[in-house]
Amino acid sequence: MSRVQLTDVTKRYDDVTAVDNMNLDLKDGEFICLVGPSGCGKSTTLETIAGLTKPTSGEILIGDREVTNLPPKDRGIAMVFQNIALFPHMDVYDNISFGLRLRDFPQDEMDERVDEAARVVRMQGMLDRMPSEMSGGQRQRVAIARAIVRDPDVFLMDEPLANLDAKLRVNMRTELQRLHKQLDTTIIYVTHNQAEAMTMSDRIAVLDKGELQQIAPPLTCYNEPANRFVAGFIGSPSMNFADATVGDGTLDANGYSISFDTTAIDGVGTGDAVEFGIRPEDIYLKSNSAEAEDPSRTFSVTTDVLEPMGDEIFVYLKPILGASGEAADFEERQGLLMSVDPSSDISEEEDVEIVIDRARLHLFDDASGDAISHGIVADSEIGTADDGVQAD
Amino acid sequence: MSIDARNHDDAETFDGSGDGTGDEENKSRIARWADDWIQNPEKAYAVMLVFLGGVLLTTSLFPLYWLFNVSMAPPGQTDIPLLPTTIDLSVFIQVFQQVPFARFMFNSLFYAFTVTVFVLLVGSLAGYAFGRLEFRGKTPLLFSLLVLSFFPPATLFIPLFRAFNQQVPMLGLFTLPVEIYGTPGAVVTPLSAFTMPLAIFILTTFYGQIPDGLEDAARVEGTTRLGALFRVIMPLSAPGVATAGILTFITVYTEFFFSFLMTGNSAAEWAPVVDGVIAFQTQYTVRYDLQAAASLIAIVPVAILVVVAQDKIISGLTQGALKE
Repeated sequence: MSRVQLTDVTKRYDDVTAVDNMNLDLKDGEFICLVGPSGCGKSTTLETIAGLTKPTSGEILIGDREVTNLPPKDRGIAMVFQNIALFPHMDVYDNISFGLRLRDFPQDEMDERVDEAARVVRMQGMLDRMPSEMSGGQRQRVAIARAIVRDPDVFLMDEPLANLDAKLRVNMRTELQRLHKQLDTTIIYVTHNQAEAMTMSDRIAVLDKGELQQIAPPLTCYNEPANRFVAGFIGSPSMNFADATVGDGTLDANGYSISFDTTAIDGVGTGDAVEFGIRPEDIYLKSNSAEAEDPSRTFSVTTDVLEPMGDEIFVYLKPILGASGEAADFEERQGLLMSVDPSSDISEEEDVEIVIDRARLHLFDDASGDAISHGIVADSEIGTADDGVQAD
Repeated sequence: MSIDARNHDDAETFDGSGDGTGDEENKSRIARWADDWIQNPEKAYAVMLVFLGGVLLTTSLFPLYWLFNVSMAPPGQTDIPLLPTTIDLSVFIQVFQQVPFARFMFNSLFYAFTVTVFVLLVGSLAGYAFGRLEFRGKTPLLFSLLVLSFFPPATLFIPLFRAFNQQVPMLGLFTLPVEIYGTPGAVVTPLSAFTMPLAIFILTTFYGQIPDGLEDAARVEGTTRLGALFRVIMPLSAPGVATAGILTFITVYTEFFFSFLMTGNSAAEWAPVVDGVIAFQTQYTVRYDLQAAASLIAIVPVAILVVVAQDKIISGLTQGALKE
């Protein structure tokens, strides 16, 4: 039951800055996910909160207490580790009660608490097992019981599900959510799996290169990413990106243009280099263009590879060669990725017409990567009808 | 179950085509053995195993048997037969009656035990630092430890003897407050120093292999770093701790040079078990039988230790090589 505050926390190793000026303010009882690619500083951030690593500078508050220089044992935290870290030489009971024994709890209270914790994680009757005799999921549940038995102010979880198999991971994910509802304790959860972050957390903190990119509820991160990095990291498959320039009432990319009202968006002027991003599900076949909120004009493309996923089909699109014979250069030459309904009649190497949902198109500053706008609107004077192939 | 044709019952019918039996009779006995062994190499291995094992056992156990033989011979008899003429186990009791041999043994065991505890304690702290922490100068420090262990202990005897006995100023800075020659301190301190490097190396290897997560977990759960060392890291390194401990114990228990020279000759003066054996030798008589019996008794504690802990020692010595 505590808020956690990080103020200007920086952790520098000899030549690397692992965490750079991190400011976080977590509310009491919140479930926060720290996500980011490997080496983004999310684990280091968690370790500084745990006290396993001392920050180079900055201040950490748990509750109203400044804990920056306190050892881990005095911070009122509990932690679940990626490698589970049960003590192999102790049985389940001893593992769970380890922290209580160190704090000289009376035997009867200790028994009571261990039973209760074992009940919460559904491990009753297994208290005399050794860790080596249990499955991965059971071990992880014991590790969670060890964390909750001390009734800590804050839970820290460092990729606790990373070592479990896919099915168990989904199971444990639900159990953790249930646990959070039940205990109502602040949870800080580190993961590189954005699906875990999306499904479990109240807010997501996206980190990259030691810097906080965005902290917001999952759907905000998804629909209104603060910058190009967040846009690319959140969402699977990833958002499509392409370079573009702002023309006179148009967004010009790869020989195509989409008309939009430049005046409706602050900070965009004719001739600006921007990057636009569009999620696969916001691209529609022309036949389904009615589903789009604000369909652009149609583009002619060729399908490349199809990836049927069951509930949807991912379609890789490549542009039809322009008049100059040059293929348009989409992001990393992978082409544009579109997801369509599995019932769609579509095959490989087929010319199709697509529309883009203008309301779901994201504009990013080409230099800084910061988001300029989420969704653009058609230029009311010119209208959608005037979308056309740009005269090269 | 092997389906190798050579091991199969029906295999005989394949090459036993009439004239084969005639050949068998013509061959010499040795040739038939050779044939048999080539057909069944496992027989050859078994014979070699028995032979080599016999050689090893004889060379290592015969001296012990000879000691027993000597102890059975009557006092003064110098011609020792291969088989004892009489079995008289009372010599093993006489050993304790003629000299305070129990006290001599206690002295040696006391040295071994004290040094082992001290070395494990200090060596654990050093092993933790070398195995689990990153700090400037770690490699040179570890290397200098290695270099120190290369010194022949005898070269350090004279300066140590002077320091313990004559209270010379050390480095011109201080003198030891009391004369510790003839006390356990004069044996325990130098032997701790000599056995320390090996113990530190063993413990460093083991402590370094314990995953960081376990130490982190212990610290989050409420221990200090030191608490994590003694509650988690040391118990999990039990084979390593046992190996370091037993090697130290045996080294000190069997040590002769320092424990003999740094103490007086009587049991009350903290003389080790070696003095106990020598005590049966007076100016005019030598009781070889009692000396042999005393030597056998002196072996017992170490033998028990090795038998009890052999599993741990073997896993301790091989674990570093076979890292999971």
